[in-house]
Amino acid sequence: MEKIQYIGETLLPGQIGQLGVLLGFVGALLSMVAYWFATQRQETAEYESWRKIGRIAFLTHGLGIFTVIGSLLYAMTNQLYEYQYVQGHVSEELPMKFIFSALWEGQEGSFLLWMFWHIVLGFILLVKGKSWETSTLTVLAAIQAVLGSMILGVYFGFGDEASKIGSNPMLLLRQTIDAPIFAQADYVKLIKGNGLSPALQNYWMTIHPPTLFLGFASTSIPFAYAIAGLWTKRHTEWLKPALPWALFCGSILGTGILMGSAWAYEALNFGGYWAWDPVENTSLVPWLIIIAGVHTNLISKATGHSVRSSYIFYLLSFLLVVYSTFLTRSGVLGETSVHAFTGSGLGNQLIFFIAAFTLPSLIMMIWRWRQIPSPKTEEATTSKEFWMFIGTLILLFSAVLITGSTSLPVFNKIVQYFNPAYQGRVITEPVIHFNKYQLWIGVFIGYFSGFAQYLRFREHNWSKNAQRFAIHVGVALAIAGVLTYLSSLLIQLPTWQYVLLTFSGYFTIVSNLDYLINYLKGNLKAAGSVFAHLGFGLMLVGIMASGVNRKIISSNAFLMDGLIEGGDEEMSKKNISLFKNVPTLMQDYMVTYVKDTLVDFTRTYTVNYQRKNKAGKVIEDFNLYPTILYEKTFTKIATSNPDTRHYWTKDVFTHISALPEVEQNFELKKQREEELKYKPLELAQGRTVLLLDTLEVENRDTVFTRTFQISLESISRNPAHKDYKPEPGDLAFSTKLKIRRSDDDSVYYANPAILLRGQLIYTYPDQIDDLSSKFKISQEAIEKVFAFDNQLKYEDLNLRQGDVGNWQDLKIKFSGFNKNPEHPDYTRKEGDLAVGAMLDISAPDGKVYHAEPIFLIRDGQPLNVKVEVGELGLHLRFPLLDPGKETIQLMLAKSSAPSSIPIEVATDALPSNYIVLEAMEFPGINVFWLGTLLMMFGLGFSIWNRMSTRRTAEVAAA
Amino acid sequence: MKRIYLIAGVMVAIAIALLVNSAKDMSTYGSFADANTSSKKIKIAGKLAKNKPMVYDPVKDPNHFSFFIKDSEGEEHKVVLLKAKPQDFEMSEQIVVTGRMKDGVFVATDLLMKCPSKYKDEEIAIKSKQNG
Repeated sequence: MEKIQYIGETLLPGQIGQLGVLLGFVGALLSMVAYWFATQRQETAEYESWRKIGRIAFLTHGLGIFTVIGSLLYAMTNQLYEYQYVQGHVSEELPMKFIFSALWEGQEGSFLLWMFWHIVLGFILLVKGKSWETSTLTVLAAIQAVLGSMILGVYFGFGDEASKIGSNPMLLLRQTIDAPIFAQADYVKLIKGNGLSPALQNYWMTIHPPTLFLGFASTSIPFAYAIAGLWTKRHTEWLKPALPWALFCGSILGTGILMGSAWAYEALNFGGYWAWDPVENTSLVPWLIIIAGVHTNLISKATGHSVRSSYIFYLLSFLLVVYSTFLTRSGVLGETSVHAFTGSGLGNQLIFFIAAFTLPSLIMMIWRWRQIPSPKTEEATTSKEFWMFIGTLILLFSAVLITGSTSLPVFNKIVQYFNPAYQGRVITEPVIHFNKYQLWIGVFIGYFSGFAQYLRFREHNWSKNAQRFAIHVGVALAIAGVLTYLSSLLIQLPTWQYVLLTFSGYFTIVSNLDYLINYLKGNLKAAGSVFAHLGFGLMLVGIMASGVNRKIISSNAFLMDGLIEGGDEEMSKKNISLFKNVPTLMQDYMVTYVKDTLVDFTRTYTVNYQRKNKAGKVIEDFNLYPTILYEKTFTKIATSNPDTRHYWTKDVFTHISALPEVEQNFELKKQREEELKYKPLELAQGRTVLLLDTLEVENRDTVFTRTFQISLESISRNPAHKDYKPEPGDLAFSTKLKIRRSDDDSVYYANPAILLRGQLIYTYPDQIDDLSSKFKISQEAIEKVFAFDNQLKYEDLNLRQGDVGNWQDLKIKFSGFNKNPEHPDYTRKEGDLAVGAMLDISAPDGKVYHAEPIFLIRDGQPLNVKVEVGELGLHLRFPLLDPGKETIQLMLAKSSAPSSIPIEVATDALPSNYIVLEAMEFPGINVFWLGTLLMMFGLGFSIWNRMSTRRTAEVAAA
Repeated sequence: MKRIYLIAGVMVAIAIALLVNSAKDMSTYGSFADANTSSKKIKIAGKLAKNKPMVYDPVKDPNHFSFFIKDSEGEEHKVVLLKAKPQDFEMSEQIVVTGRMKDGVFVATDLLMKCPSKYKDEEIAIKSKQNG
């Protein structure tokens, strides 16, 4: 194998990329060491030079990682499939706009994205960090070194013991897998890319991962500050610069998580925005902790209390991000997540990642514990800091519970390590489990973030504040009570716990608004916290409305998971089958599957919703367009995308959960079509024909029979069939068949059509799904309807230019000659003298047809080209032209109606014109989105406020 | 003793109590034999019995998909999923169903399946171009 000289490989980008990987790793290590010395020798002359080396090394590291990203992108945009990452994530069909999505789809790419953000954030620290630069960047460089090792892809050890460090994105395909194709020197020409999964080809995949990873990356900065604070013993100073970073992190990580929710809701089909999936949980937990950290940080700044807690929370937030990386990438979650994870072989390395940062954090924390200032005086129970701190404990509490439950597979692994016989445990119903406990977190946080606003830091004079506090809290409680009552008229609050939750949400909303108006007097500068907590309250109410009251339209039950014992089996039935053009009543809506269109690989279904009021007047009428995306082969569905109608007060959500088998797989459809057992029938007009149909009964030796009564209603020479697009010169007709079946009371009509175009016959069958039968016109019918020339009796008609002649019930106007006549049956030859007679034929019903029979002289012989007006059954010839008299002679004939039409019937057709639909209503979902956005806005607003006051202070100081 | 430590202590106690209590929400993967003896919902992990009939006829009932699963003890049993048939069901390597036994049939309200990983696919997907 090694002797092969491969041709067509572009190796340079790979070599440059490899260099970048090494530079990135070594740079990070060097930067860490240099910055460490700089921090240790802060007061000495060496400081400057160590810092300089640290800076250069960090920038070199950045350059290295950017080079890797650059060369990888180069290889991807140029579709160099010899690279394993390119082959795995790009394909010829992949639009350029998704190249970035493809970049971070894979494991290595997402590590690169993470490192990219660290470099950007690190650069800001490098420039703006001042006295914190060296210590924080030591930590960040250490993190980068560990992350950099994840893409190293080197082997160490010997023989079978060799283990791999990292998975390198710049490796060639032939270096990563063994396949017979690599025996060919020109294999590059023969392979193609897998491409990006169609389910990921949307704008969410473009914006969600970068935001989420910026959120993850930004937990590293408060972490770095915390370590730096412990290290340099500046236990109170670090809190100030860390706060804006923590706020930034809270807002970006929160936005990233929300984008994931919005993606799940808008574009995926699990019918909701939160599913307590391990992946969601493990990104939520660091967010909860960083928010707890923000609160203790504020307490510390205002009162000097809770410094230790601030340390713990900021350290923990980053460590939990690392833990989340371990959970989601090591494959340990197994089948507990809907996100398909595979073991990446990095499991041990990820455990090292956790240990490498947890142990030092823990040791430093213990080491410095006694040094960390902690006021001897106790917080007063009437002070703001007391309740804020309790609030952070509740957030921690929530994080512990979520992490505990999510880590169950890890727990199982550990126990099984010691006791292989141990049977792993799983949460039977995760959604119910998480909701049950987290509901209480929501309740407490709701109340606390309401009344704590009214409290003051370092309360020394409670008696003065007490009365005002009591009045405001009392009024807010009263208003919240009224609002909860009013809500209970609109939405269901199924249990007393949910009533409490709603009440708590309203209480926060009311008290924060009140605080903004009566305490802050509308001073928006300090309103970041009000916005964030107001948002939290709205979110609780929104969850109550849209989550708990989510209504399945396509079934008849309110879906409230786990609230009614044993009712969940009825509730899980969420689908309904909709037949094309058959309006079906679903809850209040009359829903109709109108049509579907296939463009490229996407099939778009038009589903019409109509709602009437009691008087029968239509008050709502809209279409939804859920889509099905096929795989390139059209043998499988790649993804089903929902469509949602947005109202201010609710959303109507629809997605296709299944299609008939033949519509999922076009190969199967073709195969089924060929297997149909057609039976011939001769249908005479006005007479009913009986067809005996025998059916085998499943699992029994008997058959049962039923009869079809089929009659020919009419023949139309102007056929309308969904697949037939008329062209000039077509000879086509359709038959209207009336069908009844013995075991069915309804009367059905089928309209199969047939077409003669040029020399080819096309048949257009018609299917009646209710009878599982398919009807088509036999090919022999063509000549019965469009009679042969020798069976026709032609009559002559002489016309002068401009004349109108009568023939039978037709009026024929000869309007002039066409010197350049065209007809499908006529091909011009050199020396031809050809002329067409332009005729306008008026039928008794007022319709006018244009026809142009051709007279020609070829090689001295007079010839003519016949034309047929299919809809009139009229045959026209133009055999003679008298130039002297300027008259033409026409020959006309009409084919008589056929006595009978041969058709074919198959009674074993698979029904194909239905969709299986799932439809839901999310009431008040906008309250949820508004609330969550307000939370993120509030966090962002606080950073802006803090930055601008700091700037003002700096200006004032100067 | 500071009040705050007291409160924190109480919360830790509650957390432990809750986590212990939440053990009720957890179970091991069961077998069909277990399902026969219990009226509670259980999870069964198994493999799809590919030689047994798989029936999904949305025309009759879009919320009725029946198939057979072989559980960890090797017992093959009929399962009815009260949902639409999932995509790629035939390709699944492992299936986890949540539900309970009803009249001799395991009625499932939830199904998770594990499909062959993308990485394995990669090896197969290297195919020669048709018109290259």
